[in-house]
Formats: sequence, structure tokens, C-alpha cells
Amino acid sequence: MNIEKIIDDTKAYFCIECGICTGSCPISRIDSNFSPRLMVENLLLGEEDDVIRSKKLWSCLTCKACSSRCPASVDFNQFIMRSRIEAKLLGENGTCTHAGTLKAMMELQTTEFFRKSKEWIPENFKVTDRGKFYYFVGCLPFFNIIFKDINVKSIDIAVSALKIFNFFGIEPVISENERCCGHDHYWIGEFDVFKTLAEYNLKTINNSGAEVVFFTCPEGYNMFKEVYPLYFGKLDFECVYLPNFVNEKLRDGDFSFLETEDKVTYQDPCRLGRFMGIYEEPRNLIQNIPGIVFKDMPRNRANSLCCGSSNWINCTSVNKLIQVERLKEAENTGAETLITGCPKCEIHLNCALFDRDNNYNIRIKDITTLIAEKLGGK
Amino acid sequence: MLDAGRHPNIKIMAYSEVEDAKGEAGNFKVKIRKKARYVNENICNACGECIEKCPKKAPDSFDMGLRDRKAIYIYFAQGIPAVATIDKDVCTFFLKGRCKLCEKICKKGAIDYEQKDEIVELDVGAVVIATGLEMFDPSHLTQYGYKRLKNIITGLEYERLINATGPTGGHLLRPSDKKLAKKVAYIQCVGSRDLNNCNYCSSVCCMYAIKDAMLAREHDSESDSYIFHTDFRNVGKWFQKYERRGKDEYGINYIRGRVAEITEDEEQNPVVWYEDTIERKVKSLKVDMVVLSTAAKPSSDAEKLSKMFGYELDENGFVRKNLPYPSDTTVPGIFACGFSQGPMDIPESVAAASAAADRVMETLAGLKLKKRA
Repeated sequence: MNIEKIIDDTKAYFCIECGICTGSCPISRIDSNFSPRLMVENLLLGEEDDVIRSKKLWSCLTCKACSSRCPASVDFNQFIMRSRIEAKLLGENGTCTHAGTLKAMMELQTTEFFRKSKEWIPENFKVTDRGKFYYFVGCLPFFNIIFKDINVKSIDIAVSALKIFNFFGIEPVISENERCCGHDHYWIGEFDVFKTLAEYNLKTINNSGAEVVFFTCPEGYNMFKEVYPLYFGKLDFECVYLPNFVNEKLRDGDFSFLETEDKVTYQDPCRLGRFMGIYEEPRNLIQNIPGIVFKDMPRNRANSLCCGSSNWINCTSVNKLIQVERLKEAENTGAETLITGCPKCEIHLNCALFDRDNNYNIRIKDITTLIAEKLGGK
Repeated sequence: MLDAGRHPNIKIMAYSEVEDAKGEAGNFKVKIRKKARYVNENICNACGECIEKCPKKAPDSFDMGLRDRKAIYIYFAQGIPAVATIDKDVCTFFLKGRCKLCEKICKKGAIDYEQKDEIVELDVGAVVIATGLEMFDPSHLTQYGYKRLKNIITGLEYERLINATGPTGGHLLRPSDKKLAKKVAYIQCVGSRDLNNCNYCSSVCCMYAIKDAMLAREHDSESDSYIFHTDFRNVGKWFQKYERRGKDEYGINYIRGRVAEITEDEEQNPVVWYEDTIERKVKSLKVDMVVLSTAAKPSSDAEKLSKMFGYELDENGFVRKNLPYPSDTTVPGIFACGFSQGPMDIPESVAAASAAADRVMETLAGLKLKKRA
């Protein structure tokens, strides 16, 4: 096994066993059997089985709450991902959520596969097959079908994106050959699946003549911007998170928002916040919508609490409790709408919201949807 | 300090800054800006009448801004020289051109609004750098909530609160409601031993946190202290015994684990979240006040000064020691001592100061002998 290499590459040997990681971990706070510190310690002590063979390995959310505070700069996310690769070799696996539907859906895309991914586009929107601007739709059309039963209409985000593009006079490329970005397989240690998906995507985008690729999902954005270049070199196009693009237009005074009435707070998605350092742009957009009352939750920006679940594995009552805690925190700000920048946060928090045991007075909305709704005059 | 002030061969130039330096061992020319106090140092006897009557207030920097001082002020009671200074940026006369109340009140006529900065050129044989330290600002470690949550203070602010001459007369009144803080958490290594901030142990915080917790118990027999630490680094003589005394005689709770974050309840009580690494459990603790044992950094002028004199700094910005002579800098004739060279406590600083003085004498005597020969 490549245990020594994992320790070396993630600088796990720098660990001073201070416990800041475990104290920061949203899972550990509820489930005392899960401890990032002990996982690192066990691997360092040569107790590999306690890490690699353990079911706990699959509970990590890779939310980066631990390593962003680690005084020894141990890269726990990489530690988990690399350990999972080793675990997969031994036949270990996490438990897939939603009966494995999502994982299967993504794996199917590693084959020659016709996505029919344009059917969702409403008639009056202008899109194209080749051009300078590409919109990476990602998994939204699939989520839309799978999460219908918990009242999540993920495709609204994609339709909103089209509205924004057309508003600014852009006809984006939307491709039927596009694949899932490979995020989930990357983090659960199925590297080959990730690589195949990524290769498809790069071929598709390069063939479209795109110079700029827009994202409405922070996971896709992070994969393209930071992970793809690690394995495929510098990309031939620029990656832009769509709300950031709108924020620049707002700064340049190119348009204004419509008046509205709402009390809102904002959930920092881990991929956007702790991974990419994008904290202020979404807040700036929200606060520039006239009539919106904005209040941050006590734990915000780098200290934000994860939406509770990730990579479609090991979702248990622990994860639900994290979501409940976050929803309560959001409600306590007096907000009626919780804005998030990630389609998965929207799904996970809605899942907890759908739980009839609790009565919530808050709804979840994606920032792209919010922007599209409130786009005013130019 | 008083001894140095009274010594016939020692001249203290307080409220002054080095502007330029040239030369070599035995023959340095140093240009010093003696800043205008707008009070004649030779006349003022620090009676304090002007301060009492001055109508303008400003945050007291010596008290870490925990209370206000006047526009005319004495930096701190034991300071040398004991004279008043006018803060030009705050004083009504300097801002609006009228007031002059202090001039009317001063019976000795020490106030001089016309005073100008003075440039003094000194010929010196050797220089000792003793620029000390500056506290690390923990505001960007947002998980600890410094400046965001009211009842979170730094170790230096705590020192002013527990000090009898401080803003609360030595009572540990917490900032939010001025109620006596009975349950206090001390958080070690805030910025220290952190690869993202200060990549070294500040070396003094373990001891001062224990001392602070002891003082709290001495002031109030019901006080409860919790020191969150990675490991204690009490390396001096009898320091470990001191740590034991803290636990046995003062009932201090030592908790092994770096604090992950601090939140706040409805009554503005800080809630400390941490892993108790001995019990291997994530816990939270509600306290009245939190003291952050922040890292100590080289003074902010250290780099400017090093360029002026031409000596090297190390990777952390401290004066590089020219080993095997720990008092020497990389420039002959320039020596250093105290925290300017790296983390050290008071006894070590005193020893380093004596060593530097010794090296100065050695150098100057050597040069004299050489000249004679």
C-alpha cells in the first residue's frame, strides 16, 4: 500500500495532535466515533486497518473545516481521498445514498452516451452549438428528476442561467456530449471514472470553440478550475462562476436589480468558500437587491457549517442533524429565505426541510435563481 | 528602568526615532528624530493638572483602548521621562486653533505649542537593537471571534484589566456588561506554532496564562480558569513546578486540545468548542470571558531599522544572530538583545541585554587598544 506516500504528500507527519480538526469537524461534533485527528494518528502509527478498512473513512464530508484551521497545514481532504483510493483497492466502499442511483447515473456517462441534455431548454431562450461562451450545465437535469419528490427543481437554476446569459446578450453553447464533472468519483477515490468523465468534458468543450466556460455549480467550477489542471495541464479556456460574472456587471453599473421584499441569509458552499475563497461576491449581489434585508448566520464564510452531506455516500441521521442545526441557525437570523450558491446545498437542506418532524419557516433558493428573478433594467 | 533614568552616564531619548545610520564599528553616525511633545521636558514636573482639565479624549493605547486618556497625557505612570505630551492629532488647539487650556493651567509654563521635531546627530561607537515585540492581531482568525464577539480579549488586554492601575482598577469586569468574569477560558497558541501565521513558539504565553489564571483566583476566590493548550512549554527553571502549583493550589483546569471555534449564547457568554484530546471527545464550554494568548511578533519597525543599519533578519523577521556570538548581528558593532532576536522571557532578556552590553564594551575596548598600538 502507498501509506507512506499518503503521509508524505498530505504532510500528515506535521500533525501535532492538537485536536483543532476534530473540534472543527461537523461530523465529530455529533458522532464521537469519528475523529480526523485519530485517523491521521492511526495512519502515522501504522494502524492502517483502523483507517483504510474502517466504515468511518466514508463519513468525511471533505468540507475542509478541519484543514482550513490546521496549524500544521495537514491536507486532510487529500488524506481522505487518497486513503479511499487504497480502500477501494481492498474492496472497501462507502454506502451509496439514494440506492446508488446518482452514482450509477454518473458511471453510465463514462460510456458513449447520448445525454439528450437540451430537452429542458424552454423555447424562447437562445442557445448555440459552437461559440465563445460555454455553459456547463452539469448534473442539474438529472437532479431535477431524482429530487422531484422533495420539492427541489434543480433545473430552475439552469433556466435561470439561460435567462441571465440572454439578458446580457450571450448565446451560450449547451452540449449534448457534456458529462458529469467527476467531482463525486474523484472524492470517493474512483479515480478512473473521474478521469474518463473529465476527458470527455475537455474534448467536448475544446471542440465547441469555447473561450469562457460558465458554471452555476461550485463543485464543477472547483473541479475545472483547480483539479482538472492537476491532471490535464493548463486548460485552453477560462472558468467563471456565473454569479461572479453578474457581480462584475453590477460593479460596472451595466444593470440594476428589481425591488423586492425578503429577509435572507446565505449559506457558503464549501467548494465555493473554503475551497475557492469566494465569500464576498454572492453577498454583494444579495445586498444590492433593493428591499432585501440580509443577515449573516453566526457561522459564516470560512467558519460556515457544511450542508451536511457530500459525494452521495454515507448519509445518516448524523448528516440530518447537521442540516437541522444549520436550518435552525438560518431561521434564528430572522431570514425567510436561505440563499445558497450550490445545487447540492439546495438539495441537502431541502431534504431536511422536507422532514415533517420539524416545522420550519424558511425556504431554500439558489443564488443564480435569485439573480435571474430580480434582473432589472439595463 | 528608574535606575537607568537616574544614571549619570545614561541618556534616555524617549519619544524619538532613528531616521538614518551610517558608519562602522567604533564610528557610527546616527540621525535621530526627537519628536515634539509640545511640552518642555526640562520644565514639566508631571503634576497632572493639565491632564485633569483637558477637555478632549482619545483611546488610551497603553490601556489597549479599554479606556480613554486626554489629548494631553502621560503615556504610563512609571514612564521615563515623567513628562506630559500633547497628542497633536486629537488636541482641539491643533485641530481647530483654539482652547489652549493647558497653557493657562500650567503654573510652570511648560506648554510650548511652537515646539518642533528636533533632529539630533549622535556619534556612537556601537549600537544595541532592543526593539522588542508586537502582539499578533487575531482578528483574521475569525473562528475565535476577536473584535466580533465582545467578551473575547487578548492576553495583553487581560493584563490591563487585572492590573490595579488599569481601567477597571484590577477587577476582571468583562467588556459586554461590566460584570465580574468568574469563569475564564485561556486559549493558547493563537497564531503561534501555526504554519499559516507565526511559524514558531512565542515561548512566553504558557507561563503568562498560568500567571493570569492565578491572579484571577487571588482577586476572587470563586474564579474558575480553564487553560486550553497543545502542550505546556514551561522550559525555565522551576517553571514546571509553577504549572503544578497552578493546578494544585489555584485549581486551574488544564485542558489538552486546541480550541476549534468560539460561538456566543444569547447573553453574550462565549461558548468554546474543542476536542478534549485526552478523553477523545468534542465538547463545548460556556464561560464568562475568553482570553486569547496571542503570538508575539517582531516589532513592526524591525525591517525598516534593519535596512537602515544593514543587518540581517531571519525568516520570521527577528534579528539574525551571528553565531557563535548570540549578541552579535551580522554587522560588526551592532548588537541585539531581547525579543528583537526571537521569543524570550524576562530573565532571558535580562541575560541577553547584559551579554550585549558586554559585547559593546569588548568591541570598544578592542578598538581603543588597536588605535593605541
